[in-house]
Amino acid sequence: MELFNNLIFGFSVAFSLQNLLYCFIGVLVGTLIGVLPGIGPMATIAMLLPITYNIPPVAALIMLAGIYYGAQYGGSTTSILVNLPGETASVITCIDGYQMARQGRAGPALAIAAIGSFFAGTVCTMIIAMFGPPLAEMALKFGSPEYFSLMVMALVTAAVLAHGDMLKSLAMVVLGLLLGIVGSDVDSGIKRFCFNFFELTDGIGFVIIAIGVFAVGEIISNLSDPEERQVFTSKVGSLYPTLQDMKQSIAPIIRGTAIGAFFGTLPGTGPAISSFSSYMVEKKAARDPSRFGRGAIEGVAGPESANNAAAQCAFIPTLTLGIPGSGTMALMLGALMIHGITPGPMVMVQQPDLFWGLIASMWIGNLMLVVLNLPMVGVWVSVLKLPYRMLFPAIMVFSAIGIYSTNNVSFDVYLAAIFGVLGIAWRVLGCSPIPMLLGFVLGPIMEENLRRALQVSEGDPSVFLTRPISLAFIIATVLILVVMVMPAVRKRRDDIVG
Amino acid sequence: MRKAKLKRKSLPMMVLGALLAVAVAFPLATALGAADAYPSKPVRMIISFAPGGSTDIVGRLIATKLSERLGKQVVPENRSGGGGTLGIEMVAKSEPDGYTLLFTSSAIAINPLLDKVPYDPVKSFIPIAKMGNAPAVLTVHPGVQANSVKELIALAKKQPGNLVCAAAGVGSFVHLASELFKMMAGIDFKIVQFKGGGPAMIDTMGGHSQILVGTITMTLPQIKTGKLKALGFGGSARSKLLPDLPTVSEAGLPGYEASIWWGLFAPAGTPMVIVDRLQKELDAIINSEETKKIFEVQGAEPDLLGTADFVKFIEAEGVKWGKVVKEGNIRKE
Repeated sequence: MELFNNLIFGFSVAFSLQNLLYCFIGVLVGTLIGVLPGIGPMATIAMLLPITYNIPPVAALIMLAGIYYGAQYGGSTTSILVNLPGETASVITCIDGYQMARQGRAGPALAIAAIGSFFAGTVCTMIIAMFGPPLAEMALKFGSPEYFSLMVMALVTAAVLAHGDMLKSLAMVVLGLLLGIVGSDVDSGIKRFCFNFFELTDGIGFVIIAIGVFAVGEIISNLSDPEERQVFTSKVGSLYPTLQDMKQSIAPIIRGTAIGAFFGTLPGTGPAISSFSSYMVEKKAARDPSRFGRGAIEGVAGPESANNAAAQCAFIPTLTLGIPGSGTMALMLGALMIHGITPGPMVMVQQPDLFWGLIASMWIGNLMLVVLNLPMVGVWVSVLKLPYRMLFPAIMVFSAIGIYSTNNVSFDVYLAAIFGVLGIAWRVLGCSPIPMLLGFVLGPIMEENLRRALQVSEGDPSVFLTRPISLAFIIATVLILVVMVMPAVRKRRDDIVG
Repeated sequence: MRKAKLKRKSLPMMVLGALLAVAVAFPLATALGAADAYPSKPVRMIISFAPGGSTDIVGRLIATKLSERLGKQVVPENRSGGGGTLGIEMVAKSEPDGYTLLFTSSAIAINPLLDKVPYDPVKSFIPIAKMGNAPAVLTVHPGVQANSVKELIALAKKQPGNLVCAAAGVGSFVHLASELFKMMAGIDFKIVQFKGGGPAMIDTMGGHSQILVGTITMTLPQIKTGKLKALGFGGSARSKLLPDLPTVSEAGLPGYEASIWWGLFAPAGTPMVIVDRLQKELDAIINSEETKKIFEVQGAEPDLLGTADFVKFIEAEGVKWGKVVKEGNIRKE
């Protein structure tokens, strides 16, 4: 009952004209920067931070939060339409979303992304309101051994679920791990594979690889095949999902939301890992996994729900404990402190209008985003009617601007061009870039936590088995291996014999 | 017929046009301004760290205030990478005409100690002014059986190498401040590295690490709610934010002091008229009430030093941390 009263109080705060306006500005700006590749919520929030000095803290936070989760909505748009990931977390949406667009189903893909995100946003608003503080305490129980075991589970699951040529997948995972090594070693500070470029000391940006491989690679290969150029102009089908689409998407949306909520609450993981995991799970859960990569709507519904859930649940540790789960969340904390508010458990008691107002505004913001995005679907889809000689250069320009503006370094643009060429090579060789990206994302986290855990335990690997949470992940990993690999091996052997 | 076709094409074109406009306007929006003596055009202020950190927040504040006083836009531009070295190098190689300035932290003095860098903190620049300090706080997980600096030192002596101290990356301020504490107290504990201060703090709050020497901005909320236990303050005097907390120096380790500091730099060869003008404006900015307030929530103390004193200070910092780097054997190569 108290929760109910609190939420009503929150809505009364969020429904003030001023707060509604700031919420709207936030989600609108968020959608825009989400659509533009490279320009992420972090840079935008940093730039807007000084403006918030002069507006009330509740309004400031509502706006900044709107930018953050609005970007997750917008990020899927370019992924689906032109294979250009607008945000890190929407890379996975490129795979099936873009294939749907090529089959004339861009409308349903965009709509299901918005609907899934809205569902995830609604559920996560409730989760924050009901279980925020205990969940944040749970997140603190994760030390280096737990993170390592969790990542092992994620990587093993992904490897087991991978389809197609096992050897090629493994090679791509290893390549991803190697690319992840580039940059300063966290433990020793020594630069690895930097070739005396200071630009590489912080590692290669995920967005650079993704834009290079997906967007640039796609354009080059499209141009090399004259028939493919016409692919969009001829077929732009129905704008909205069919009943069949909706039915297929319900379960992925629910699973994606659960996965996103889990990873979002853990500091240091976030939306990218959530959407990857969701995609892998959907691929496994599907009756016919071979549809994935060829425009399966589940491959859009699940990951899009997951990344929005993760973005939303990242507020749990930030609001309830005052700990930053990511760089963007650190900025939010900074915004609070500028207004003289000490983030942490006391915020709920001392500034109930801020806490509950923000939570209520998140739901309102999600509603605004759906209202904003669904009618836009038609407008976005019409972009595809552009002749390729205009569309392709435009995509290249946006990609370059986006990549450059992330760090203001032109080196990154050249790097993306190199990855574009590599993307073509992999396409020709029939290697999927997904295992590579997975290795690239998970590898550094695994390495860092493995070494730290062993450093603390003085080289004794039993820490992974003696700590209960870590042990649970290891057991789950072994179970997954046994359950999944056994039939697969048997089947493969049959294939060879047959 | 023809009309209909035109119309169909114009909608996507409009969307594309609008998108292009937004994308182009985004980086340029802040760069608009008009003309007079110095500055006769917008001034670029390179911040050598990513958006969102304390250096960025303070740098942007200074840029806003400088814009108001100079009557021209001072445009902050984040150029992060290489622990700040990329942005620092860029300004070192810029035209010394007063239109490219550098806002950076103590990293400018510390990076050359750790690695080969393409600049010299004093020779490549005119250090215009030092603006403030943000001292460290020595904290432990609340479960650690030590309620003072002395008790912590005693505990570490009883079980050498057992306690784990979380740091924010090799050569980071958090790392060096921890190393300095270890060195001066003559004790031994493990220092493990994280990617940044946030993860290091979270690990300490969870009790996986025991010691964290963090900035006051980062740790204050946790200290107030009892998730971290503060033992000592790394400044030369007590902090207004935690008046009951003794300095590390008074609590058992005389002479311990560890602070991040910030300053504005111009490339060597910049005309002194410009440097003097900037110094005058900074003087007024640092002494304004608003700046003091924002510094305070950042856990920082305004501390204005002019060029001559600033140069001496930078050299002294190089000597002080050089010793820590050498004894702790901290290198990035």
